[in-house]
Amino acid sequence: MTNHTYTRPRVYVLVWLTLLALLAVTVATAFLPLGWANTPVNLAISVTQAALVMLFSMHLRAAHPLVKIIAVIGFFGIGILIILSLFDVLTR
Amino acid sequence: MAEGVTACAPQFDDAEQQRTASNLGIWIFLATEILFFGVLFAAYAITRVRYPEAFAAASRLTNLPLAGTNTAILVTSSLTMALGVHAAQHGARRAIVGWLSVTVALGCAFLAIKAVEYRLDYLEHLVPSLDFRYAGPQADQVELFFYMYFFITGVHALHVLIGIGCIATIAVMASRDTFSPDYFTPVDVTGLYWHLVDVIWLFVFPVLYLISRS
Amino acid sequence: MNSTAIATHESYLSSGWNWWSWLSTLDHKRIGIMYTVSITLLFGIGGAAAAMIRLDLLTPHSQLVSIETYNKLFTVHGVIMVWFFLIPSIPATLGNFLLPMMIGARDLAFPRLNLLSWYLFVGGAVFTIYALLNGGADTGWTFYAPYSTTYTSSQVFAVATGVFIAGFSSILTGLNFVVTVHAMRAPGMTWFRLPLFIWSMYATSLILVLATPVLAMTLMLMVFERTFGIGVFDPALGGDPLLFQHLFWFYSHPAVYIMVVPAMGVASEIISCFTRNSVFGYRFMAFAILAIAAFGFLVWGHHMFVSGQSAYAGTVFSLLTFLVSVPSAIKVFNWTATLYKGQVSFEAPMLYALGFIGLFTIGGLTGLFLASLGLDVQLHDTYFVVAHFHYIMVGGAVMAFFGGIHFWWPKITGRMYPEGWARFSAILTFIGFNLTFFPQFIVGYLGMPRRYPEYAPEFQVWNVFSSAGASLLVFGYVLPLIYLLWSLRYGERALNNPWNAKGLEWETASPPPSENFHATPVVTEEAYAYARAESPHG
Repeated sequence: MTNHTYTRPRVYVLVWLTLLALLAVTVATAFLPLGWANTPVNLAISVTQAALVMLFSMHLRAAHPLVKIIAVIGFFGIGILIILSLFDVLTR
Repeated sequence: MAEGVTACAPQFDDAEQQRTASNLGIWIFLATEILFFGVLFAAYAITRVRYPEAFAAASRLTNLPLAGTNTAILVTSSLTMALGVHAAQHGARRAIVGWLSVTVALGCAFLAIKAVEYRLDYLEHLVPSLDFRYAGPQADQVELFFYMYFFITGVHALHVLIGIGCIATIAVMASRDTFSPDYFTPVDVTGLYWHLVDVIWLFVFPVLYLISRS
Repeated sequence: MNSTAIATHESYLSSGWNWWSWLSTLDHKRIGIMYTVSITLLFGIGGAAAAMIRLDLLTPHSQLVSIETYNKLFTVHGVIMVWFFLIPSIPATLGNFLLPMMIGARDLAFPRLNLLSWYLFVGGAVFTIYALLNGGADTGWTFYAPYSTTYTSSQVFAVATGVFIAGFSSILTGLNFVVTVHAMRAPGMTWFRLPLFIWSMYATSLILVLATPVLAMTLMLMVFERTFGIGVFDPALGGDPLLFQHLFWFYSHPAVYIMVVPAMGVASEIISCFTRNSVFGYRFMAFAILAIAAFGFLVWGHHMFVSGQSAYAGTVFSLLTFLVSVPSAIKVFNWTATLYKGQVSFEAPMLYALGFIGLFTIGGLTGLFLASLGLDVQLHDTYFVVAHFHYIMVGGAVMAFFGGIHFWWPKITGRMYPEGWARFSAILTFIGFNLTFFPQFIVGYLGMPRRYPEYAPEFQVWNVFSSAGASLLVFGYVLPLIYLLWSLRYGERALNNPWNAKGLEWETASPPPSENFHATPVVTEEAYAYARAESPHG
């Protein structure tokens, strides 16, 4: 990558602190009796954390659109697998 | 390869093309890793949907303090790896070696804590087919949870181990002045791999350890 | 063979003659040839298993082999033909050889990964053959749980390991191809000037890269469950055998597109050349290829209509399966339109390509029968299904593979094959194929189950026809092996472009130099810019 506008270290530190904060939040919410909502909250936090790591630490923000597509396509594939299989399991 | 003018492998026209190809290549590889782990998540999700209480009960038996600590360690190692790549972008040889060494150390700490966690699980008779004992209801499904737990965390730990090996190797290469601001692809590529191992864990952790703690 | 017998000029073949120069090569062309040799051997093994099956099925009672052996035979046949022949065939042989040349590159993006991919393929094959020699597996190539995980005592571990290793070979090939097409096209080679063969290699590579990891992990889950006696597929513990099927078919359905999409690419190249016509609707063809690859990931449940899957899921998968037939149909219409008012000539590659269109169409149409939930209840696990996929895989993919081998043989070897024998083989194969597999539609519809060594006596006449056809097929496949090898020494030396075909690969020597082109080509014209007046014979 010849993008000589390299990310500054303080961005990495901010991401790190945010990730740790989100870790605390996700653990804390697990102790709240939210019923079925616990899991979606945890997963939403995971997705946010993953997005932070991928966008900043993995330089996706500045990447070519093709690279961005490759980065998320695996998640899409697994999404299809889980959604359609769950659809089967839940409607038997 | 650390010479001033950028050389490239013979199949490429120039260093720019080589860098583009390397970047595409590693991201495609990372996509395959996501799919690889995704299958485990799918198997886990489908089984969990069928036995929500058993999986919730089983999840409460996992070691949250150790795993939480490990998550913090892995996240931190991601930071130190990113700083190592940053150092490579600027050709700061000693900084590269320093940050990569810290990353290796954190990775080893992760594995050490994991080993302790596994040992505690064993002592509590939570290892399937190794004297598994669970007194509560739906013991078979609790055992299924722990089967997936060991499978997923085990495959992940294997990836951490491989990552440690790669980072240590490039740290040695860096100490021998192999890299320069014009060529640090191995550092970059290893960094991306390590970050993905982190991303995967960020999903593994809540899915296995945080089902139902209230 | 000494160097002067093959090439009278410096080429990739003459640069180094000993074993090590081949086994350590980084040249995509040599790797393509090494793959060709490997898959030919494996095709022989898979074909031998098929021959045994067809011999045993001559009589309603299994008189040649025991029932246990029969189970192992169809497992061997399936495992080898799917993973060790069809999946690598066109991509790893023709794709490896031609892809860099067609886009004007000197090699693939990662030559060392390419060589590693071949070694992984051979390693996987060795494991599988080892399993064969030690009794083989008897689960069918589909490894369904709980038989594979709990009840069988056959060599599942070894066979699964062999497939697992070969899977990484697939992934590396796919990765290499995708990166190469994105990053290394020659100046002027825009996406919509690419030959359709490249589009098909690209789409196939996307599937290889995205689907194969799923297979790898599914096999790993199966093997662990078998080894440790506990797992998520075991109903006794509350696990779900259908979960295995979801995971398995999520890979294995896209896998059939890995097997047929390359054949479509080959067909487009051959048909355009021997009609002296640009392929009709080039952009539709390219988008159809991508659509097949994408939609192919959404339909896997059509293998599970009668397995206990919910009727609602079945309905959704049935609808999606009907949709995936649309881009394939578009391609068949466009090939036909390409033929219309073209200057058609009937060289051997064209005979194979025409056979491909017809047989692929029949195979595809019968897929629609199977996509209908109601019909599938009757037809699932009968010979109708067997005939359906053999029409596509053998009538389609294998014929296209042979067509491609013949079409590019002059380029690869610098020699012409004997045209008379080749046309004869093509026709013999076509006749033999139909005689083998059309009766299977009938006998399947009448109710004969697949994977059974014994059947009701009233089905015998169809089975005899089928086995007779198989004996013709043997000749149809062995003849090319003989005359192609013969041509390496005695064949007429080929021109650079014996077919007057369009495409960058034809603008360099036959056989090409190691670096493919002496100077990087610059592309200025669209794909298939055929002038009508020239015939394929210079």
